[in-house]
Amino acid sequence: MEIFEALGGGIATVLTLQNLFLLAAGVTVGMIVGVMPGLGPSAGLAILLPLTFGLDPSGAIVMLAAVYYGSMYGGTITSVLINTPGESATVASTFDGYPLARQGRAGPALVMAAIASFVAGTVGAVLISFFAPMTASVAKTFGPPELFLVVVAGLLTLIVIIGRNKLLGVLSALLGFALATVGIDVGVGQQRYTFGSTELINGIDFVPVAIGLFGVGEILYTLWRGGHKESIAYAKVTVRDRAFWPTRQDYRDSRGAITRGSLLGFFVGTAPGAGATVASLMSYNMEKSVSKTPEKFGKGAMAGLAGPEAANNGASAGAMVPLLTLGIPGSGATAVLLAGFLMWGLQPGPLLMEQNPDFAWGLIASMYLGNVMLLLINIFMIPSFASIARVPFRLLAPIIIVLCVMGTFTVNGSIIEVGIMLACGVLGFFMRRYGMSPAALVIALVLGPLAEETLRQTMVISGGDMTIFLQRSTSVWLLVLMALLLLIPLLGPWIRRIVDAQVRDLGRARRYRERQERKNTVTGPDADVAAGEDRREGHGSAEHEKDPAGHAGPGGTA
Amino acid sequence: MRNRIIAGIGAVTLTITLAACGGDGGGGEAGEYPSDELDWTIAFGPGGGNDIMARTMVDIINQYELYPEDIRLENREGGSGATGWGYLLNQRGSGYGISTTSGSFITTPLQADTGWTYEDFTPVGLFATDDALFVVPGSSDIKTWEDWVEFASGEESVVVGGIGTINVDFIIHELLAEAAGYEIEYVPFNEEGQLQTALLSGSLDGMVSNTGSILGQIEAKEVTPLLFTGAEALPALPDVPTGVDKGIENLPAMPRGMILPPDAPQEAQDWWIKTMKEVVETPEWQEYIESNYLTEKILWGDEFYESLGTTVNDFTEILTEAGAL
Repeated sequence: MEIFEALGGGIATVLTLQNLFLLAAGVTVGMIVGVMPGLGPSAGLAILLPLTFGLDPSGAIVMLAAVYYGSMYGGTITSVLINTPGESATVASTFDGYPLARQGRAGPALVMAAIASFVAGTVGAVLISFFAPMTASVAKTFGPPELFLVVVAGLLTLIVIIGRNKLLGVLSALLGFALATVGIDVGVGQQRYTFGSTELINGIDFVPVAIGLFGVGEILYTLWRGGHKESIAYAKVTVRDRAFWPTRQDYRDSRGAITRGSLLGFFVGTAPGAGATVASLMSYNMEKSVSKTPEKFGKGAMAGLAGPEAANNGASAGAMVPLLTLGIPGSGATAVLLAGFLMWGLQPGPLLMEQNPDFAWGLIASMYLGNVMLLLINIFMIPSFASIARVPFRLLAPIIIVLCVMGTFTVNGSIIEVGIMLACGVLGFFMRRYGMSPAALVIALVLGPLAEETLRQTMVISGGDMTIFLQRSTSVWLLVLMALLLLIPLLGPWIRRIVDAQVRDLGRARRYRERQERKNTVTGPDADVAAGEDRREGHGSAEHEKDPAGHAGPGGTA
Repeated sequence: MRNRIIAGIGAVTLTITLAACGGDGGGGEAGEYPSDELDWTIAFGPGGGNDIMARTMVDIINQYELYPEDIRLENREGGSGATGWGYLLNQRGSGYGISTTSGSFITTPLQADTGWTYEDFTPVGLFATDDALFVVPGSSDIKTWEDWVEFASGEESVVVGGIGTINVDFIIHELLAEAAGYEIEYVPFNEEGQLQTALLSGSLDGMVSNTGSILGQIEAKEVTPLLFTGAEALPALPDVPTGVDKGIENLPAMPRGMILPPDAPQEAQDWWIKTMKEVVETPEWQEYIESNYLTEKILWGDEFYESLGTTVNDFTEILTEAGAL
């Protein structure tokens, strides 16, 4: 219980009136920053970090944690409402979040996302308190081979999201991988497809591509469909309606997804470099695999939003583990935080938690309180955000396009990136028009360079020997996990059929035995009753037989 | 309701536009220097080594009231410094643009068509160098530089890591290996975090890193420092030998200096040399040097560029030999 004392102490230090004000202000500012397409948590932190130069570390960290959660949730808002992820960790939230908003369920979607984030943040804070040292020792075994496997596990999501037309889906992913090759080749330092431009030497950033493909592409597509002329049915739903809040069924659907997402997110988040993006994609993948109704995914399944949302928040808690216990940043946002440590005169490293326990626990407590504040503020804010979905498209479309241009420009102040964004907008339109998958492209673009980098590092380390993946115990475990992830949806129906068959055979054997016994002992009307029961049981098992067949269909497509 | 939302979005947009557009202007030439707002470019993101140095300098300048007008500080990151220094390049002839340098000031023009080299800018001076530590995992039996050389010479090749390829880290590894007579397989990383975990996970035999980034691991005995690339031993780690102690001289380091736009007025250059001479004498600057584990090395004006010239030639030679250019 010593741990809880530490966490409680942290919360107590943070809970001053001034800090509460900073928390509320930070969450609000973060949400506004995050709602700008293109500006996610790392950008939000980077913009505000200079303001904390020379500030007292505790106050600064409270503010930054609040901004972090606010902007993360801001990204979710845009993902759900206008199909534009603010950063790579919320790409998975567009898959089912946006369809939900289109069905007029933006309110429930946003509330569920906030609840999922809150639960995951809480689980994360508790897990940090208990497992930080243990998970740190696992995180320490993550070299390039392990990171490569984690990234590949994230890429497995491509299988799930590619959709019905496999060929077009694969083509979309390949386009993403192709775009990912632009920039400096990390292996030898040569430039690839930069045409001498200094703007391209760091590669094509995810932000303009995602904003173009999702945000602008969606608008062009809606225009083409004639969406500006449609009167929107769901515009009639008002804030006071019960339809604005999740139904009991939504909670039931999301419960499992949130729990799984929180745990998965936390542990994936502890792997340095993989983080929230891979976690949210893996969670989506997993939810679709375990779901009884996988056909609903991509069409507005609540679990498909709640899982990834919990996972990306769980991952941001998980990323604190290597940061605090090893002094190694696990994500873009924690790298900015690490820079902040240096700025505030703290020495990051394995001893940080030991030497500055007040600060470390204050940080964990701030992260947690940021979550609480987010939930509180959201209860008031969601109705107004969700009503954006009620603005007629002909008014909303130009505003979104302007916001997309501004957001893209603000990130790096690069006009070339604005050009890339607009070009991707047109590309996104044609991809949607012809049934390609913009999401597959974006996932390939984000994870492609990581996969390439880590695989090449691995190959240099092993001298080109592929067996390196079997020689390291952590990577063997990861391989086993990946095999399970792949096999469960494939083998699931088969295993269920075998189990059902076993149960049926046992039942039959038992009934046969009973009948034999009865024949020997019972006579008269009792036998008829027994036979009747038999018929009923037989009927039951026939129904049972149909069940696995029903599951085989969707399982086979996964 | 609808109007209010649109107004809200408009307000947010406007605020952000104003923030984003604050970048231009400045550069009036008339009258005595300095008589205008200063446009200070940080060519990297917030929190990096370059950013911390620039912000420390501005703090000191403001504290001692050395610059009479406003100083506007902006991070213009991107393209490994190309964006920020490219911005300074476009302020040709002005005395009111300024920026600070780092390792990329030399290496980025080597690998990309930046449209400038260091020679285009007007030098103010070099104040310090950011040196590196060579470390091995704390769990290994290698405890001294001699142990390492013995181990490395016995292997066909050793696997070492650092940040980037056309970068100081790679060159240090090449020079060390050449001087001590062993073969290396160099693994480039993009991020310090992944580099450090790769070493801790046993994937690498050794790596180099900036003192500030790795000191925490050293204190926790997760890694063992074997060699410091600076000319003199680090006060924080007096027992770690330097390259010079082991007969390896002229190891490169990141230059922490200051530059003005191309063809900046003579009076601006003179004014900044005079002012920075005051800045580097302040206790705050000394505190910065110490807490960031830099090595003080002061060269003014053309002397700064002579030393950069030598470094660039060395880099080009080594990288060409290694086939990276």
